[in-house]
Amino acid sequence: MGLGFVVGVVGVVILSHAAYSTIQYRSLLKITEEEFSGPPMNVVVELLLGLVLCMWAALTVPGNFLSIKPDTDENRMVSLPGNLDFMIFNHRGKVFSSEMDMKLKI
Amino acid sequence: MVTKTEDTQLNRLENQVDNGGGGAWEYLCLIKKLKVRRPEKVLKYGLSILNDSKKRSSLGPEEWTLYEQVSIAAMDCQCLDVAKDCIKVLQKKFPESKRVARLEAILLEAKGSWTEAEKAYTSLLEDNPIDQLIHKRRIAIAKAQGDISGAIELLNKYLEIFMADHDAWRELADIYVSLQMYKQAAFCYEEVILAQPTVPLYHLAYADVLYTLGGLENLQTAKKYYASTIDLTGGKNTRALFGICLCTSAIAQLSKGRNKDEKESSELHSLAVTALEKDYKKTAPGKLPLLTAALKSLKIS
Repeated sequence: MGLGFVVGVVGVVILSHAAYSTIQYRSLLKITEEEFSGPPMNVVVELLLGLVLCMWAALTVPGNFLSIKPDTDENRMVSLPGNLDFMIFNHRGKVFSSEMDMKLKI
Repeated sequence: MVTKTEDTQLNRLENQVDNGGGGAWEYLCLIKKLKVRRPEKVLKYGLSILNDSKKRSSLGPEEWTLYEQVSIAAMDCQCLDVAKDCIKVLQKKFPESKRVARLEAILLEAKGSWTEAEKAYTSLLEDNPIDQLIHKRRIAIAKAQGDISGAIELLNKYLEIFMADHDAWRELADIYVSLQMYKQAAFCYEEVILAQPTVPLYHLAYADVLYTLGGLENLQTAKKYYASTIDLTGGKNTRALFGICLCTSAIAQLSKGRNKDEKESSELHSLAVTALEKDYKKTAPGKLPLLTAALKSLKIS
């Protein structure tokens, strides 16, 4: 968790550095009066690196993926809950009542 | 709903608690969350927590729900004294509460004094006529007294008001099945499936009812629902696999001579048989000959 978070922060920092260098490059072009043909190589590399790091952090930090398939162990129903709203008490439990002798201490 | 993971977790915790490994509170929480009925265990371990004042006070406000849980479990085990004591504690803490009043009425039910319980519920309903739980308790009283037709009548009335209550539809279906009124039960299961289409066990129950009803059309629908159960469980439901086999043989018997889609059905049948054989080979190899014999006798007939 901590590692993923740090990686995410590093990714965001790299992305913002790429933005900063792009702005600087544009102003440099204005001074030298050259045509803008494309971003410089180091900005492209930074962008790709930042993208990868941010994506990795976003996939790991918030938690694990949950399965959406109905037949995995997490989603597959094996038994229904007892319908407890309709539970009735006159069943064979009456016969075994003598076995339990417990008291609530108040 | 109890999924496979939760089921294994419950069994593991149960083992751990039974062998004195601790974790009783987590176990009780899981029981409450999954709504399974384990009254003896709840009574035993719940009381051991409640009787230990240090453990009890560490629960904070959860203490009172534990009292409620234990009191209902005690009624289920017919330890009425314990239930009474628990309710007394709750009564002292929440003197005006409707929830405690309902518990007291349930205690009357457990004692078997039906008229008094009925009276208590009626007075509670006067205060709040749309309390679903109390309506359900009145149905349960009728059922407990053996008055099944009365219970059906009350349930039908209840369902006219609260149509979205799938638990009530399920209860009605159970009652109809117990009375062998399969047509009505099938209708109820349709409602349940409509409310919760992703629960394979309802599909299975509906298919069972249709298969029991019989007739070519019902059998074909039953087969479809068995197939949808297999689809939803990934083929891990043995009953559905057997259902496919039984349906196929029954359909073949009924529609002798005019087989128009036999090829498709035999394919499904052989797939089910393969899955069953694989399953048996893995979990119970000793019973494999029994299975093959049974399936063979089905195919011939």
